[in-house]
Amino acid sequence: MDARSEVTGQGVGPDSVAPAGTAAPKRRRRPSGEPPPLPRQLGLGGKLSIGLTLVAVIAIVVIALVGRTGEALGRSESEFVAAVGRLRAPWLTDVMRAIDALASPFLLFTTRVLILAILIVFRRWRHLFVFVGSVLAVELISYGLASFMTRPRPFGVTALAAWEGFSHPSRRIADVAVTAVGIAYALLPHGRYRDVAKYVTAGTLAVFGSAQLYLGVSHPTDVVVGAVIGVTIPLVGFRWFCPNDVFPVTYGRGKTAHLDVGGGRGDAIRKALKEQLGFVVTEIQPVGLEGSGGSTPVRLTIDAGGGAQERLFAKVYARNHVRADRWYKLGRTILYGGLEDETPFRTVRRFVEYEDYTLRLMYQEGLPSPKPYGVVEITPEREYMIVMEFFDGAVELGGAEVDDSIIDQGLGMIRRFWDLGLAHRDIKPSNLMVRDGRLLLVDVFFVQIRPSPWRQAVDLGNMMLTLALRADAERVYGRARAFFSEDELAEAVAATRGVASPTQVRSELKADGRDLLAEFRSLAPERAPIAIQRWSIRRIAAIAGVALLALMAMGIVQENWRALT
Amino acid sequence: MSRRAIPVILLVLLSLPACSAAPSNEIRCGRGSAGILAAQAVPSATMIPCIAAFPVGWSYGGFFAESGLVRFWLDSDRAGVHAIQVELSPSCDTSGAVEVEDPGSAPTGVRRLELPTSLEPRLTGSTFFTFTGGCVTLRYDFVNGAPATLLLEAHEAIELFPREEVVALLSEGSDVLLCGAGAPPCVGETGA
Repeated sequence: MDARSEVTGQGVGPDSVAPAGTAAPKRRRRPSGEPPPLPRQLGLGGKLSIGLTLVAVIAIVVIALVGRTGEALGRSESEFVAAVGRLRAPWLTDVMRAIDALASPFLLFTTRVLILAILIVFRRWRHLFVFVGSVLAVELISYGLASFMTRPRPFGVTALAAWEGFSHPSRRIADVAVTAVGIAYALLPHGRYRDVAKYVTAGTLAVFGSAQLYLGVSHPTDVVVGAVIGVTIPLVGFRWFCPNDVFPVTYGRGKTAHLDVGGGRGDAIRKALKEQLGFVVTEIQPVGLEGSGGSTPVRLTIDAGGGAQERLFAKVYARNHVRADRWYKLGRTILYGGLEDETPFRTVRRFVEYEDYTLRLMYQEGLPSPKPYGVVEITPEREYMIVMEFFDGAVELGGAEVDDSIIDQGLGMIRRFWDLGLAHRDIKPSNLMVRDGRLLLVDVFFVQIRPSPWRQAVDLGNMMLTLALRADAERVYGRARAFFSEDELAEAVAATRGVASPTQVRSELKADGRDLLAEFRSLAPERAPIAIQRWSIRRIAAIAGVALLALMAMGIVQENWRALT
Repeated sequence: MSRRAIPVILLVLLSLPACSAAPSNEIRCGRGSAGILAAQAVPSATMIPCIAAFPVGWSYGGFFAESGLVRFWLDSDRAGVHAIQVELSPSCDTSGAVEVEDPGSAPTGVRRLELPTSLEPRLTGSTFFTFTGGCVTLRYDFVNGAPATLLLEAHEAIELFPREEVVALLSEGSDVLLCGAGAPPCVGETGA
């Protein structure tokens, strides 16, 4: 049955369409006060972070108010450190000095380089940048706080270890903490190993902190606040940018950058689909993870009644995907300017609403895209799932035989996009599927309404390249002349350069060996390449912002270098 | 930027904590936490170098203190950035330097030694102040053509403040006490 023929005059949607053979959906509205399928829970780590931060803030405020000139807290802390100093014994002093030496700047630097090397070897870039960012943030905050507090070292006691700068916070402890937390969260898998590492980190900080007090170089609150800064910043960084369920640390094979759809989330997905769309899910299977970086795609098997089963396709979107989209767009803005709409989505709700809209639009216009079934809420404002038709039995274009009919369907699809004033913006082999001789188009998230002529030309160029990868340029060009004028084809070839093509198209072109783009250029009328660099105030502001951060980092390096030389 | 450059940049950034300086803070005579920290850095020194007042055109460059060493530096609009660097340490190598009579009002017990290394085209060299338990080294390195009179200005800006006065100022209205020179002995002096 033709997809368009299923559309009623009232439009499409969960109310008007349902998987063939399934019973009429029975839905349930969640009443006020009832928790969502997957309630947001603040874990032990989150509670600990908040608690530690509160302790640090209170300590800083107290010291800033009464301790800067050596009153109250400062005096009692110095007395405490001096009292500890009176208990010194030669053997214990040797032990404490040895412990302190383990936290020397050289050893810390070496440890960090090792962490960095491991992350590079395993290409765990996100963890790497979060770790480096945490180290920088801890250093800058410690530096700034020490500049503000200007707290001298403990009075009345001989310092038996090397120290550097003002006392509060203890930068040595902060450095140890950020490194230890980096090991736990960037190198160790979630679970038993990381749990053990957390206890080891706590023990390590206690031991190093005790050494600082015994050796007379820090006050107790210096140690506590240093530890809080060194733990909280990387902890928040890793939890925010590398959550376990999206970017788990693993050392086996397999895709890692997706949400875990088992366990509690799997149960929540089942509950949400049953209550909100009326589907009884019997299986949730991750699929196509390799071609998807912006969402977690899954295949759902649902009970169609009478022992029959149907398959649906769904994508889980979380806030991490919105953040990833935001950074991706910022990067594109800096590198290329306003090639297209680079305005980021602000919430995951808007994110999923947009895809739902494009899906419905495509389906309504009769384009061969999946039938939409709607959106379910898993955790309000944090996680949503969009559900659509699963092209059961379809194979990716790369694995299908590409004959003239498929070529015509691909080119005709672009013609239809042009006529409707749309652009797909992500034409690549993994988004084109073939089933029973019919070319299907998936992943319509990037669809744009009333795009620039350049963007439409790029769509055509990418379709031609994708088809030519399975056929040849001359054949594709020959068929294209039936859909497009020579000028339009020349425009498409001139516009399709470098980043204008999806990464998959570029990598497959490279692997193919043929210079298909050059072949198309030789076939099309001559036309100067269309520049892809665009300048805008937003791009200039983004570049200036990044440059400012880089200058700040360089300034710190220069200042340190001058101080040492 | 190539991918190979990324590890290099990261290495530079990661090295920050390993070589980072103490926060900048002016070390003014008779006040401020930087002076107290300086007194703690070299507890044997009976004098602490400090800034009395900035002559016109001079400004504070930065401050660094660690156990056994205090360093701060001054910038000048005519002598250049980092034109003067002052260091306090328990001792210093004064070989080659010539003792001179201090034209200013150096405290009793302070010896002044001069070691000029270049007069033209740029003025460079060191002035040493030695005293019980410590040594202050004033290194000057002016840009080409900077007048030598700027060195006199710098000498006027920098004074030696008796450590015992730092101890006295700190103990006013407070029980806390520095230990070391000019103060009671420190607890746990020998580590035993």
